[in-house]
Amino acid sequence: MRTLRHWLGSAPSYAVFLVLLAVLAATRPEMMKLNILGIFFRQVVPLGIVVIGQLLVMRVRSIDLSLGGVILLINYLLSSGFFGQDHLLWMVTGSLAIGLGVGLVNGWLVAYRRASAVVVTLAVGIVLIGIVESLANGRPPGDVPDLLGELYNWRPGGIPAPVVLWVLLVTLMSLLLGRLVWGRQVDAVGANPEAAHLAGVPVARTVLGAHVLCGLMAAAGGLVQTASIAVGSLKFGPELVLNSIAATILGGVIFGRGTGGVWGPFFGVGCFALLFTLMTTLGIDAPVKLIVQGAIIGLAAVVYGLRRP
Amino acid sequence: MWWIPVVALLAAAVYLSLATDRFATERNLTNLVAQAGPLLLVSLGQMLVVVIRGLDLSVGAVISLTTAIVALELPAPVSLPLALLAGACVGLVNGTLTVRFRVHPIIATLAMAGILQGVTQLLRPVAGGRVPEVLGAVVNGSVGPVSTPILLALVAIGGMTLLLHRSRLGLHLFAVGGGETAGSFGVAEGRTRITAYVLCSVLATLTGLFIAGRIGSGDPNIGGPFSVDSITAVALGGTQLAGGIGSVGGTVAGAAFLALLSNGMNLLNVSAFVQTILKGTILLVVVLLQPRKNIGL
Amino acid sequence: MTALVELEDIGKSYGPTVALRGVSFRLAPGTVHALVGENGAGKSTLMKILSGVVTPDRGILRLRGERVVLPHPRAALDRGIATVFQELSLLPNLTVAENIFLGHEPRNRWGMVDRRVMEERTAELLAALELAVSPRCLVRQLSLAERQFVEIARGLGADAQVLILDEPSAALNAADVEKLFRQVRRLREAGTGIIYISHRLEEVFALADTVTVLKDGAEVGTYGTTDLDPDRLIALMVGRDLVDLFPPRATETGEVALAVEELRLSEAAPTVSLSVRRGEIVGLAGLEGQGQREILRSLVGLVPCQSGRVRVGDAVLDLPLGAREGIRAGYARGMGMIPEDRKEEGLLLDLSVAGNLLLTSESLRGALAPRHKAREEVARQVEDLAIKTESPEAPVASLSGGNQQKVLLGRVLGPELEVLLVEEPTRGVDVGAKVEIYQRLREFAEAGGAVLLLSRETLELIGLCDRLLVVHGGRVVGKMRGEEATDHAILEAALAADPEAGGEAA
Repeated sequence: MRTLRHWLGSAPSYAVFLVLLAVLAATRPEMMKLNILGIFFRQVVPLGIVVIGQLLVMRVRSIDLSLGGVILLINYLLSSGFFGQDHLLWMVTGSLAIGLGVGLVNGWLVAYRRASAVVVTLAVGIVLIGIVESLANGRPPGDVPDLLGELYNWRPGGIPAPVVLWVLLVTLMSLLLGRLVWGRQVDAVGANPEAAHLAGVPVARTVLGAHVLCGLMAAAGGLVQTASIAVGSLKFGPELVLNSIAATILGGVIFGRGTGGVWGPFFGVGCFALLFTLMTTLGIDAPVKLIVQGAIIGLAAVVYGLRRP
Repeated sequence: MWWIPVVALLAAAVYLSLATDRFATERNLTNLVAQAGPLLLVSLGQMLVVVIRGLDLSVGAVISLTTAIVALELPAPVSLPLALLAGACVGLVNGTLTVRFRVHPIIATLAMAGILQGVTQLLRPVAGGRVPEVLGAVVNGSVGPVSTPILLALVAIGGMTLLLHRSRLGLHLFAVGGGETAGSFGVAEGRTRITAYVLCSVLATLTGLFIAGRIGSGDPNIGGPFSVDSITAVALGGTQLAGGIGSVGGTVAGAAFLALLSNGMNLLNVSAFVQTILKGTILLVVVLLQPRKNIGL
Repeated sequence: MTALVELEDIGKSYGPTVALRGVSFRLAPGTVHALVGENGAGKSTLMKILSGVVTPDRGILRLRGERVVLPHPRAALDRGIATVFQELSLLPNLTVAENIFLGHEPRNRWGMVDRRVMEERTAELLAALELAVSPRCLVRQLSLAERQFVEIARGLGADAQVLILDEPSAALNAADVEKLFRQVRRLREAGTGIIYISHRLEEVFALADTVTVLKDGAEVGTYGTTDLDPDRLIALMVGRDLVDLFPPRATETGEVALAVEELRLSEAAPTVSLSVRRGEIVGLAGLEGQGQREILRSLVGLVPCQSGRVRVGDAVLDLPLGAREGIRAGYARGMGMIPEDRKEEGLLLDLSVAGNLLLTSESLRGALAPRHKAREEVARQVEDLAIKTESPEAPVASLSGGNQQKVLLGRVLGPELEVLLVEEPTRGVDVGAKVEIYQRLREFAEAGGAVLLLSRETLELIGLCDRLLVVHGGRVVGKMRGEEATDHAILEAALAADPEAGGEAA
């Protein structure tokens, strides 16, 4: 009983997830099938993967607002055939290389130049969006390679491949944080960078590492996002950044505090999947979704602020 | 540091008047002030929040919301106070969240931005509607030989100088931004912080009114770039993002430089997309010039 | 005669740490009332309550017989209670005049801040203290001693009936202290009640009429200064004889474990050389802010310095060390450091006891190494250091100050550690934990370790250290053996090296 309460208390997302699941079961019992829910969960996979990165940087008291730009750029390059049409290896390495590069730039500026993370990642995001816009010059890119679409629709064992990838990545991150010294260092930097430094933690390197992994996760999220659409687009990304922060906070992770671990934010994203499902079936429009997301961030953060001694 | 934006400003002005004969014309310069006005107003508000070690990412959304409210085609005596009231409320909520509920300002104002965008899209899904004529008359008119935007800009600069550099509130803003100990001096820390957020949102609302008067309609997306642009102008003007240091003069120079930049690049036919890249790069460079002690936000 | 201030049965806890357990206090007008006690005895908390910074959990506060509540500092100021805080609270981004008048700014007829009046009155206040600083100077540009004077000027400028001076002289030399005393005596003549907190007992005897002694958050008693002598006062503060507090000194020492050669803190500064042998505990003594902290910190790159070398065993490190890698370079060669500010720089309060204990040793093995399976190791350390905790997984924040300090000590002490740099080893720690910490430090030295430490508590320096190095103006100006050192000898040595007595910190 006590462990259950401890587990529920570590992140608001668990309780919210259960409540939303109950609401969905009560209002639309016909939706409670694995293959239908699978489709809805597949939709949030890009968000889910991006959140793995966002929670890392937020745990070390940073933030990444450039995710939208990374995804936009990867989407553009993939759908305009920049990485070819038929070699998955090229597409994946190309995308990851971009994520790595952006992560390195963000991380270097934030950790080694000590520039404000909000401003740096905001500016990098703007530069990336500007690059995509000037590359496209107003024209839509092209078709997304079929190969990606096929992978997106693959269902090994009945579970959509993107969902499998998502769970794999979350598990991997959970292991990295839980089993390596690096995880302890992330906790320490989040709890108090000054004290962590004096204890011998390489603070700047830890922050750089988080940003690099965040960049890679943004790239992976961008790949899945691109695979989910048939034709390239020049418009999306901003709400993904907002949602990634919302899901992370809902998952019990906020600047410097990681009580929710990796699975709290995972279920935070799960909440969004259910919420989107509910709102779609109830015919709620996009603007209301924005309001709900904003309210979720605000409420989750208020709960956190109140809980702080 | 404060002279950097001024020198950059002068250099850019000299370069532009040499590079194109369309720059130093009366019409373009009037235009320039009208373009710089909104950025100036919103940046002055942003500066107040930055001075107290905050950041307001919701100013863009407030601007959009304001244009949507005044384009509801309600009578002016209703819609204008309504817009101002909405702006003040936004600031009050931002301030209360950060001060009383200890929500990080980035989270609070980002959440607020999301909510406001949603509300704005409900009010006005696409650009359109008509705004009260008085707004257009004020913004596009002139008093004697001086156009109203110039006059409004001067009033804003003068008022803000008095507020920040002469008044008690201004001193308290700097004190709160200077360190954790301001409270022990008898400064009402919480109230001062909340006031900064309210003033910031109200200035963003005035910006929205100004823009609505210029374009004559409501637009749910018009405010978008202002959040980042205002931060750029403030940082460019030598205000430390770490709080406690800043000046009205610097912010004016920063906003003027950004406006001049986009005006000049338009005259030189630089594509809007390249301008976006350049703006992002400027923000990066400016932020790198501000040394800080802490890593992170 | 009604008391100016009456505090009755005041209690305050911070989480598990009890800061005050029912303290009563009475201040009469026109007197200087000293408040003494060791670090963490509760003096600062009591004064923070009286100045409205901290709200007590229980107790009654009366001003001139009238019961009041002080929910915030403003309320205290409005009722005529001004405070000069120990931890410098000046705002570095404001000018001297702005700092002095912040919160009660003079205003002109337009309602704007009247800078002219502010600067004129500031100039007068500074002149009274014989401080040659412009009222328009930014506080960040001032030296430590100058800032201390600005703090004092702020207290004097408030025209208060009650003036609290919390360690006002810590960074001042003898001549400066005399200027301060003149102002305090002038206020006493005028009927102001002054609460004076100081570690320097000779100041207490020179200035105060009454002394209240606090120990471990409780009141030991209130005495007239004429009824006491310094030895008796020390015994009251410590609560037992000094001999019982400290472990016996080293009987033999080994080869040099730590050698600092030609350390130059800044371009203009003189060089510092010192060495610590295995088995030795060496203390840096002197007035506060004379470069002790900078010397210690520059050895691990925490403050920048100009040049020099550090030898740790056989390894040689060239100074300055980088801010980013200095501390790790130290740890890698067996040199650890315990910072003064346990909560801000020492421990990770949200992390568990085990996490804190393991952090340093794990970090030295690299980020990609697997985590320790160190349940036994943690359990052994918890037992060895007698850390009282519910479980090794409990957050460090839930421990008392003394136990937190032991965790901090345990984190650094490892088999590879040869040299230990310590700032304020027992700040905010009760007497029981103090004895244990002194014992641990001595054991570390006896096992072949070398300790270099600094402390504000002269008693601690004298009682614990084998040798003392008196630092003044960034130089080592005197050396003495622990058993020969006295409070007086240390001050003497420091001031002998200071012919102009300007009090400028290095």
